[in-house]
Amino acid sequence: MSDDLLCVGTIAGAFGVRGEVRLKSFTSDPYAIADLAPLVSEDRGQEFDVVITGQTKNGLTARMSGIVSKEEADAKKGTQLFVPRSRLPDLPDDEYYYSDLEGLEVFDTGGAPLGHVKSVHNHGASDLLEIKLPNSNATVLLPFTNAAVPTVDLKLGRIVADPPLGIFPEQE
Amino acid sequence: MPRSVWKGPFVDAYVLKKAEAARESGRNEVIKIWSRRSTILPQFVGLTFGVYNGQKHIPVLVSEDMIGQKFGEYSPTRTYYGHGVDKKAKRK
Repeated sequence: MSDDLLCVGTIAGAFGVRGEVRLKSFTSDPYAIADLAPLVSEDRGQEFDVVITGQTKNGLTARMSGIVSKEEADAKKGTQLFVPRSRLPDLPDDEYYYSDLEGLEVFDTGGAPLGHVKSVHNHGASDLLEIKLPNSNATVLLPFTNAAVPTVDLKLGRIVADPPLGIFPEQE
Repeated sequence: MPRSVWKGPFVDAYVLKKAEAARESGRNEVIKIWSRRSTILPQFVGLTFGVYNGQKHIPVLVSEDMIGQKFGEYSPTRTYYGHGVDKKAKRK
């Protein structure tokens, strides 16, 4: 898990004629992409340092190492920028990155499989785990609370859930 | 224009009934409601409501800072989740 690459942005094209690029940032605070530098390409073949120089209508403008002309910036258009998972800052207990939770297997307190985490949402109340049921395309939403999710084991890749009645279809 | 104070907050009667029944039973269950227009009252704190968004019931665990808002505010009807590779979830 620690060496997984996470896509944190993409180069949208050139900005001006002096080698600046337009950058789309996928971090929750767009400017935080510069703190994660050096960024790497998907094949880890190139490394980029990033200095944010401003913002434009659809993203940020930046100066990146190795890109000094408009032609080079244009050639890099569409390049996705990644960062190793291990470079994200550590979090306190009971706080998890969405990307760490996605894909975890979910079991009930008796050990029966309930599905796996497809994605994580937050609509303003508590965080919600979207769980894809086994042998089905249906998903259910489970509140990410201490009561409903007593155990999260990232090393074993599993979550133990004690869902309230009415969350899973067979409980109704 | 805001609602007149003398009227008090609006809550559909069936929501009050269901919430009271759930609290009395003490069961850990999701209270399914369709009333997105109902105001969140102090007696709902700690209960989990399944608020309908036109397609499914979105679980909403009511906390103190949600009092006075409407249930519908926590159950979006359109799907846009945006980006955020470094988004964090905290267990409450």
